[in-house]
Amino acid sequence: MPNLFLTLDWFQGIDLIFEFVALFVALLIAGYSWKAYRMSDEHKFKYFSFAFLLISLSLFVKALTSSAVYFQGTRIAADVILRPVLGAAREYSVLFYHTGFFVEMAAMLGGWLLLFFVSQKARDRLKKYYEVSQLGLFVYLVLLISWVANFKYEVFYLTGAVLLGLIVLNYYKNYLNNNNKNTLLVMDSFILLLVAHLFFIFMFVTPFFYVFGQIFLLLGFIFLLYTYMRVKHK
Amino acid sequence: MATRRSRLELIFDILLAIQNKGGKIKPTHLMYKSNLSHKLLNNYLDELIQKELVMIQEEIVKKKKAPNKTVHITEKGLGFLAEFRRMREFTDAFGL
Repeated sequence: MPNLFLTLDWFQGIDLIFEFVALFVALLIAGYSWKAYRMSDEHKFKYFSFAFLLISLSLFVKALTSSAVYFQGTRIAADVILRPVLGAAREYSVLFYHTGFFVEMAAMLGGWLLLFFVSQKARDRLKKYYEVSQLGLFVYLVLLISWVANFKYEVFYLTGAVLLGLIVLNYYKNYLNNNNKNTLLVMDSFILLLVAHLFFIFMFVTPFFYVFGQIFLLLGFIFLLYTYMRVKHK
Repeated sequence: MATRRSRLELIFDILLAIQNKGGKIKPTHLMYKSNLSHKLLNNYLDELIQKELVMIQEEIVKKKKAPNKTVHITEKGLGFLAEFRRMREFTDAFGL
């Protein structure tokens, strides 16, 4: 059974809970942004919503593949469900795991990339034609990286960390421009997510880094949730 | 230089002007407060009436042929103002 990296036995399952909390927060933000898009017709809200939807998809697929890796019960259930559909093709289950890893990585990197583009102020952007060609190039790179990272997971987290670093810079500029608590909280959330990715890169040193990474990931999404609640109940 | 207001910001300014005047305002005052031309204001008012965010009330005044018109903000309009403020907070917080 393929696995990207080794995790500590006692932490298997706890990380799934963390990911479901993060998934819930990402869906909340995507939902509110979609509502803002319906109200204003401004495309930036649509892209922002789509970015968080991609992150949600990634977290969901990761939770699915991880539960299949961790728990035999999930594997048996999946086998029973897929038997009538796939038949003999189930022998290639390794491919399904790799598809799962690929979707997880491509969706997460795509989400961070879109967030980076949306968090850039319009005046800093290039003209539309260049922007589309730039996006096309980045989408190709995201897909390529997601495929390569199936064999070397560090590449995925390193790319994620680079994108998050750029997002943090954008939010730092936003904080300097607006200078209020909400902008500071958003910047802090993305710093926590960046730290989580830095821990994930160095998981080969010790599996405890996966635990630390997951804790920082959860904290980052809790900060995002807190900011969302502050905005909603103003 | 100030940037051009979006359609949504214009609607917000119109509704805010009505709210700041205690929920009702004369169309001429509204035109000055929201800094819009007569034609544009009428276009926006038609849209806002259609969406039930404002309503027009007419008062018959003695010695005047035409009735006095006032623009009133509705409950839905007040709800829209609150939602717009939240959306602006969201936009600022996430740098959109």
